[in-house]
Amino acid sequence: MRMIKALTAIAAMILIAACSNDQQAAAPATTTVTPGSVADFRQNVGDRVFFDTDQSTIREDGRQTLNRQAEWLKKYGNYQITVEGHCDERGTREYNLALGERRANAARQYLVAQGIPAARIKTISYGKERPDPVGSDEAAWARNRRAVTALQ
Amino acid sequence: MNTRFDMMLPRRQTILGGVALAAGAARPANAQLTIDMTKPSFEPVPIAIVDFKGDKVGADIAGVVRNDLQNSGLFRSIPPSAFIQQNMDPNAPPRFPDWRSVGAAGVVVGQATTSGGNIKVDFRLWDVVVGQQATGLSFTSQPDKWRRLAHIIADAIYKRVTGEEGYFDTRVAYVAETGPLGNRVKRIAIMDQDGFNTRYITDGKTIALTPRFSPTLQEIVYMAYGENNAPPRVYLQNVESNRRELLGNFPGMSFAPRFSPDGTKVVMSISADGNTDIYEMDLRGRALRRLTSGPAIDTSPCYSNDGTQIVFNSDRGGTQQLYVMGAGGGGERRISFGEGRYATPVWSPRGDFIAFTKISGGSFGIGVMRSDGSGERMLANGFLVEGPTWAPNGRVLAFFRQQPNSGGRAGSVTLHQIDITGRFERQMPTQTDASDPAWSPLIPQ
Amino acid sequence: MKKLPLRLLILVALALPTAATAQRADPVYVEDRLNQLQQAISLLTGQVEQLQYRTQQLQQQMEKMQADYEFRLEQVEKGGARPGGTPAARPTTPSTAAAPPAAAAGAADQVYNDAFKKLQDGDYAGAEKGFRAFVQRNPHHALAGNAQYWLGETYYARRDYQNAMTAFAEGYKVYKSSPKGPDNLLKLGVTLATLGRKSDACAIFARFAQDYPRATDLQKRRIEQERQKNGCG
Repeated sequence: MRMIKALTAIAAMILIAACSNDQQAAAPATTTVTPGSVADFRQNVGDRVFFDTDQSTIREDGRQTLNRQAEWLKKYGNYQITVEGHCDERGTREYNLALGERRANAARQYLVAQGIPAARIKTISYGKERPDPVGSDEAAWARNRRAVTALQ
Repeated sequence: MNTRFDMMLPRRQTILGGVALAAGAARPANAQLTIDMTKPSFEPVPIAIVDFKGDKVGADIAGVVRNDLQNSGLFRSIPPSAFIQQNMDPNAPPRFPDWRSVGAAGVVVGQATTSGGNIKVDFRLWDVVVGQQATGLSFTSQPDKWRRLAHIIADAIYKRVTGEEGYFDTRVAYVAETGPLGNRVKRIAIMDQDGFNTRYITDGKTIALTPRFSPTLQEIVYMAYGENNAPPRVYLQNVESNRRELLGNFPGMSFAPRFSPDGTKVVMSISADGNTDIYEMDLRGRALRRLTSGPAIDTSPCYSNDGTQIVFNSDRGGTQQLYVMGAGGGGERRISFGEGRYATPVWSPRGDFIAFTKISGGSFGIGVMRSDGSGERMLANGFLVEGPTWAPNGRVLAFFRQQPNSGGRAGSVTLHQIDITGRFERQMPTQTDASDPAWSPLIPQ
Repeated sequence: MKKLPLRLLILVALALPTAATAQRADPVYVEDRLNQLQQAISLLTGQVEQLQYRTQQLQQQMEKMQADYEFRLEQVEKGGARPGGTPAARPTTPSTAAAPPAAAAGAADQVYNDAFKKLQDGDYAGAEKGFRAFVQRNPHHALAGNAQYWLGETYYARRDYQNAMTAFAEGYKVYKSSPKGPDNLLKLGVTLATLGRKSDACAIFARFAQDYPRATDLQKRRIEQERQKNGCG
């Protein structure tokens, strides 16, 4: 898990670097993301948590991400939230739809327990229909077993 | 190109099946023009299908018949270039020694004639071994239905030789997949069993999955996502008019629909607060009845052929396994006890077998077991094989194969058919990548 | 493998109080606890299903064996014809290959069932190979005593009384407390008597009451019949 966090951090840095490059910003890279924006949420909070195979239990690393999400969402109360549940491709289509729903619901329940109003959070399952990243190895599958907090 | 999709021929121009052509009394089954497909080994029956008389369409019909029979794995179509006897009279007995010497057990001859805006096709199957007619039929239809006539002829030959009902005059609904995997377009398509006459019945704006035919073929049920991130719902769509309606407006997701054998009910999964159970909807009054409960995922329900039971998939025992219950719920009992996870059970139209997807040891397989769970047999294996569906004779299955993705690109997804002995597998042609096949019943004549 | 769910349940049970002290007020704790209990229940559900299935299979096996046994007894009681008498006349098919490797428990059951089927079909050579392979590879299997007994029967049916005697004797010695123990003893005595060793047979029958005080009435009656037939004191 530590590795995935490290990867996320690196990805964030690359993104930030790219942004700052595009905008030719003189200021330090971290300030290019507007606090309270969707980009801020994705890069500085983390919009997704990961699950073990066939499981829908929020892992310790996921709790930390969801704790940060809850804090941020309390601060920026203008967003409506949809938690998307996803699965890797190593299951059958219909079962995975149900499993994705379970994962989305687990993340939602956690956010509600942290004080986010239940009415603010919808859930949707994409089963194995929306892989990200696309790949057929253990690393790709681990990243695909996920619940993504999308903001509207 | 005829884009309108005629699911059924208009009644008055219905195909006139069963007009037997009298020429020699029908003889009981012969040793070489018959095949017992349940035997552990057999040789495909060598058969010669002569181009039918009557312009181009006669040759086209013969081509479709050849293709159907060859694709079943039970026949070996002798190439026309090997034929000795030429310019045959479709009504006279063939020169049997000529056909024996090319190794044919049977010869099919026929003719197509057009009159009064209709096409009339008749054919005879000659048993070369005993030197007599084995069967002969005549059909009339609209000229643009010639492919269906060819499939019906292939079904008649298949039935005469195997003793089993044919499955060539059928359609297959499936999910046509295009575009990059991360943003894949998935829409419902319907084609003839041999890959012709493909027609798309959803527009691809949202993901549509798991189509299933009604017993009359006039409707399909499927699951589709709503626009703007609305959760998936089950739709009932008339395939002639394309009119579609939502089956129940539930707050959560509804999916995995399937018709009851009498077409009056649809069984499906509905999720609420992360929990998925099975419900039955009566199509006449739209009344909804819950059939399972509890915190487990209960999905992929499928009625038995007589409609009295439902086989489904549940993880109540820790992993996905197959269970059978009464059609009204209750009396649930587990039937799968092998190693691995079991999913997508489908009851054979004959009632004898249940086909399933099995995941074990990191690979996927398609298998069959008797309806009490005994006698499990695996037919096909691969990186990812899923979603078996029965041909109406219960002797052939279709499913899909997905190859591994690599370099950020999607692996190919293709439809395949296999006979229940697992001997003969072939890819079914589709215009795009394809998954979730649903084999229709025989098209009503 | 079989103990795993139970162990997990204990782990869950142990983990819960610790978590409780740390996070009693946390609503997440309640959610966790529910999840854990649900998982434990589904593991147990799966386990119960497996056990029911296993029991059902054993029951079917037992019924089949009992029917076969009673049929054989009946044959013996009718005019004293030996069980091997008639079946020996049946056409026997040559056994094809050695029994498949019995790696898993399921495979072992398969070997046993196949051998039993061969016995019923009168393929005594095939049944012999199957039962011998089963006992060799699964000496501690619940059905090992049964397999040893039926191994003896495959010889007895072919009137190979020497090998039958050895097999039944081993069954009686090694699997004394198996459900087939009394039958092994009985057939050992019967075989000895057939070989003309009546005093040895009587000595074996004499051990019956002491070794198997809880034998069925049928078994007791059979022993008594044999004792009388052989003039045991």
